Amino acid sequence: MAGAFDFAPAIALLPFVSFLVALFAGQYLPKRGALAGIAATAGSFLLSAWVAITVAGGETYNEALYTFTAGLDAFELHLGLLIDPLTALMLLIVTLISLLVHVFSLGYMNDEGETGLPRYYAGLGLFTASMLAFVYSDNILMAFMFFELVGLCSYLLIGFHFREKAPPSAAKKAFLVTRFGDYFFLIGVVAIFVTFAGATRTPGAFAGEGSFPVLAEHALADGATEGLNTLGFEPDTWFTILGLLVLGGVMGKSAQFPLHTWLPDAMEGPTPVSALIHAATMVAAGVYLVARMYGFYALSPTALAIVALIGGFTALFAATMGVVKQELKQVLAYSTISQYGYMMLALGSGGYIAAVFHLTTHAVFKALLFLGAGSVIIAMHHEENMWEMGGLKDKMPVTYWSFLSGSLALAGIVPFAGFWSKDEVLFEALIHGFGSEGGLGTAFLLAYAMGLLAVFFTGFYTFRMVFLTFHGEPRTETARKPHGVRWNVKGPLAVLGVLAAIVGFINMAPVRQLTGAHIDFLHTWLNGPEEGGWPAELSTGLHHYEEVLHDFGLVSASYPLGGETGTLLVSAALSLGLALAGVLAARSLYAVPEPVEHTDELGSIKTLLMHNYYQDEYQVWLATGVTYPIARAADKFDQGVVDGVVNGISSVSLFTGSRVRRIQTGVVSNYAAFITIALVVLLVVFGVAGGWF
Amino acid sequence: MVNLPTWTALAPTLLLALTAIILLVVDSVDPDTSNNELLAGIAGIGSLAAAATSAWLITGGTGLPGESGALITFFGDQLVADQMYLFFSFLIASVLALVVVASYDYMREHRYQAEYYSLVLLAATGMSLLAGANSLAVAFVSLELASLPSYALVAILKRNRGSVEAALKYFLVGALSSGVFAYGISLIYGATGSLQFNDVAQGLSGGPPAALLGVGVMMVAGGVAFKTASSPFHFWAPEAYEGAPAPVSAFLSSASKAAGFVLAFRVFVTAFPLDVVSTTVDWVIVFQVLAIVTMFVGNFAAATQEKVKRMLAYSSVGHAGYVLIGLAALTGGSSDTFVLGSGMSHLLVYGFMNTGAFLFIALAEYWDIGRTFEDYNGLATEAPLACGAMTVLLFSLAGLPIGGGFFSKFYLLMATVNTGTWLLGAALIINSALSLFYYSRIVKAMWIEEPAASLEIDSYPVGLYTAVIVAAIVTVLLVPGFDAVSSTAESAAALL
Repeated sequence: MAGAFDFAPAIALLPFVSFLVALFAGQYLPKRGALAGIAATAGSFLLSAWVAITVAGGETYNEALYTFTAGLDAFELHLGLLIDPLTALMLLIVTLISLLVHVFSLGYMNDEGETGLPRYYAGLGLFTASMLAFVYSDNILMAFMFFELVGLCSYLLIGFHFREKAPPSAAKKAFLVTRFGDYFFLIGVVAIFVTFAGATRTPGAFAGEGSFPVLAEHALADGATEGLNTLGFEPDTWFTILGLLVLGGVMGKSAQFPLHTWLPDAMEGPTPVSALIHAATMVAAGVYLVARMYGFYALSPTALAIVALIGGFTALFAATMGVVKQELKQVLAYSTISQYGYMMLALGSGGYIAAVFHLTTHAVFKALLFLGAGSVIIAMHHEENMWEMGGLKDKMPVTYWSFLSGSLALAGIVPFAGFWSKDEVLFEALIHGFGSEGGLGTAFLLAYAMGLLAVFFTGFYTFRMVFLTFHGEPRTETARKPHGVRWNVKGPLAVLGVLAAIVGFINMAPVRQLTGAHIDFLHTWLNGPEEGGWPAELSTGLHHYEEVLHDFGLVSASYPLGGETGTLLVSAALSLGLALAGVLAARSLYAVPEPVEHTDELGSIKTLLMHNYYQDEYQVWLATGVTYPIARAADKFDQGVVDGVVNGISSVSLFTGSRVRRIQTGVVSNYAAFITIALVVLLVVFGVAGGWF
Repeated sequence: MVNLPTWTALAPTLLLALTAIILLVVDSVDPDTSNNELLAGIAGIGSLAAAATSAWLITGGTGLPGESGALITFFGDQLVADQMYLFFSFLIASVLALVVVASYDYMREHRYQAEYYSLVLLAATGMSLLAGANSLAVAFVSLELASLPSYALVAILKRNRGSVEAALKYFLVGALSSGVFAYGISLIYGATGSLQFNDVAQGLSGGPPAALLGVGVMMVAGGVAFKTASSPFHFWAPEAYEGAPAPVSAFLSSASKAAGFVLAFRVFVTAFPLDVVSTTVDWVIVFQVLAIVTMFVGNFAAATQEKVKRMLAYSSVGHAGYVLIGLAALTGGSSDTFVLGSGMSHLLVYGFMNTGAFLFIALAEYWDIGRTFEDYNGLATEAPLACGAMTVLLFSLAGLPIGGGFFSKFYLLMATVNTGTWLLGAALIINSALSLFYYSRIVKAMWIEEPAASLEIDSYPVGLYTAVIVAAIVTVLLVPGFDAVSSTAESAAALL
């Protein structure tokens, strides 16, 4: 009987079909391809649910489906599927968000009378399809291919309004900045193939026997380096280099410092696209990739420390910029950067569960916040500046309450989703910071400190946004008479609003610790059976990761503040307290009938924050001040020297050719003379050389 | 499998000779016949039968040593029917078949059709015999049997001044070269006391006078160079190929060249083993010089031509240079069979692609659209199928991986790499790059340029089309089939 895994390819193929339908037949369909997209993503969602149920039954899947090239005694390149609990979870998230975004788009795009809708829905379909294929890729080459396709789709969708000035520029920026990171990723992919090709037929595989994380682990554990090509480096050094190369792509896609600059600009895309990019596809792809090959990162303490530091720094750095933004979507953009920073922090500091948990909860509440923002933008006739809003609370209650649910989750207020996941991230960083030896522990603690500080800013900017948008008196005419929204906007908001409140309950680790009840479902889900089962087969189980982290990543935990329970409570209280402090600070400043800008009180810091720490400026300088002159010099060299040599050769050749041609006089006696003379010359030369005479 | 009598090993040659005689008989019965179908049919069937027999004999293992370890030989080792003989008989008969099919249309309006077909068949008989010649005397006789009909064939358009002039030049240079060759043979006989290749090699051990042997070897090399159109004996080639009717040019530039090379391979490898004669005359160096000069002269002259047919004529000189690598890279090491096999493989691939290209010229002459590159402008709008086939053939000649020409050139390059003869490899690369330039000129003219207003094609001759397209298809099929060709060639080379 055909099981769920036999239908798994259809999860990505259905949105792909909707892409084709929208592209070629969208003009003739009633909703310009929206219904095809909704049907396809709903189908994918149901299939993903079926797959998840099957995975819950303890089955996993790791097969090559199509081998496009296979060497006789060498490695092969193939497309295949890897479905384990992590994949199944991510498939559910992506298909759910994508379905809701499609429905929301009916309200945001169709009802607003946008043109070019077939192109829009085709883009959404391809975007979803590529992300899903990326999620269940079983090898890093296939992952790279769909990673790039995801990047292409985001380019197409961010630049959807290509007739205006800003969107094409933002799309180009997103494409170029992420491409910069992807160069490193590509080199990393090739390097992984080069390194492991001698030892296995499937050097790019993520899981199972003969996959690169497993081989790398064996190389470090048993010294089984036969067939590995580490280019003369020590294996551990080389694996760190490989991990960091792949990390380049991750930093670009997941908008980590310093490659985060594209993301705020990407707000130029239609708001549902932003929701999709931020919650489930583009930005999530980077973090997901690290989680997917976590067994490889866990081998290298250096890589872990770097990931953690980048994550912690990005979390704080982006949060501070979010404080001064005036546009609704800009605030959300910086919050996304900051939240993905938390996930990186968790991954780096050994909190695999925490990272996946935060990825899940963030997908829900960030999609909610963007869709809520989209609803507000519809109501405000596409005005995005928060200072032009105010008092929307009573006019759009569904939007308000669901947005509030998302905001509480983002700020990390108990019991909303974000609290549980963020708390776990910080807790893991704390205990591993104290437990790990030497510089690694220090790095974790530093990253933890930054992450903790960012909690305050998160609470502050989130509720500054809420208060400015929904509370107080309406500040403009538009805000007094907002445009209504229909069921297709309210429906997704309501679904996500409820989810944002409750999704955190899937892994209430602190409650478990206190009561001993087995309610940390996500933990169980990713851990698998203790003996045998899929973790033994695929080596992607949590238990295995923890062993690797301890043995090779040199990450260990200790509980400095009154044992495990004590530390847990202190950590939770600290982060909740800071979040509440941020919320209260925002309340005192902005929850008044006539709020005013307080940013001037920041003095010169305001200028710095408003300019986003001059990140764009220095990157533009890198492009125009450094890259461009080098490119011009290379062009000069190409035009002058290379082309000159080529042109010179061709003119010399043609000139010689015309001379050679003249030997052929057309007079047969000349030919006879030539032949005779040539023969005699040959005879004399070889005769003298051979000593005949 | 039935045990055939040994003489059947010579079947390809015998079939060709028999067909020639039948054609002559038909002509004697009805001297003024213009029954084109009958004549072309007989010639076509004969040549196809010869090609098929050769292929069948090769796959049956006829050319390999028998149980006693000896090859099949005739007349006291004067002729040998080894794999190399069969390989080249196949090549010659295949080219002949293409040429005959094309001639069905091309020669339709001309007189002397029976003579034409019987001359082509006789020349092919001579070439095939040359492939099996195992003695200098047989070699000389079969060389003349191949050459004399060729002179007449070039002049077959009796009222065309270009054709007649080309034939006369061809004949005069040929006569000179035959003289050089015959003189060389007599000197070899004087030095070693025998004409049979193996006996010549034996006689060398007696320490013949260096001058006698050296001059003899050089003059034999000269005779071979004439037949293969290698520099400096190539002067006849551009003139003859241009003046001759295009099917004859195709036949001479492909089959005749191959026959010259098989003689060269056999004489130099068997009769003048390098380890014995190299102190007197290191013929590898001679061929290195000839190969490099031939490559450069052929390709550089081709690059500046205005007429397409003449360009192809020069390019065929250039290809002789490439094949000469098969001799010039013989360093006496373990890779010698690979080197020689690569040369043979290139000849086979070249046989199809070059014949196809010349037959496309025949098609153009049939349409009477002119001879220069400009005259080919926009031809693809009128005849896309033929132009597509021509494009494949030209790119394969240049060595792009669209046809077997890529692999054969690549193997030649590998041969130079394996033996460390870098100069030859460099010359091969430079000239192949240059050749891409002038082959592309035709492609550009056909596909990209705007057609002249007067360009109009009113008929699509079946025979010519078939020949051109079959040649293109075989060229493409030689990409997957190249392994079989090269392994046969290497096994044949190993027997020498």
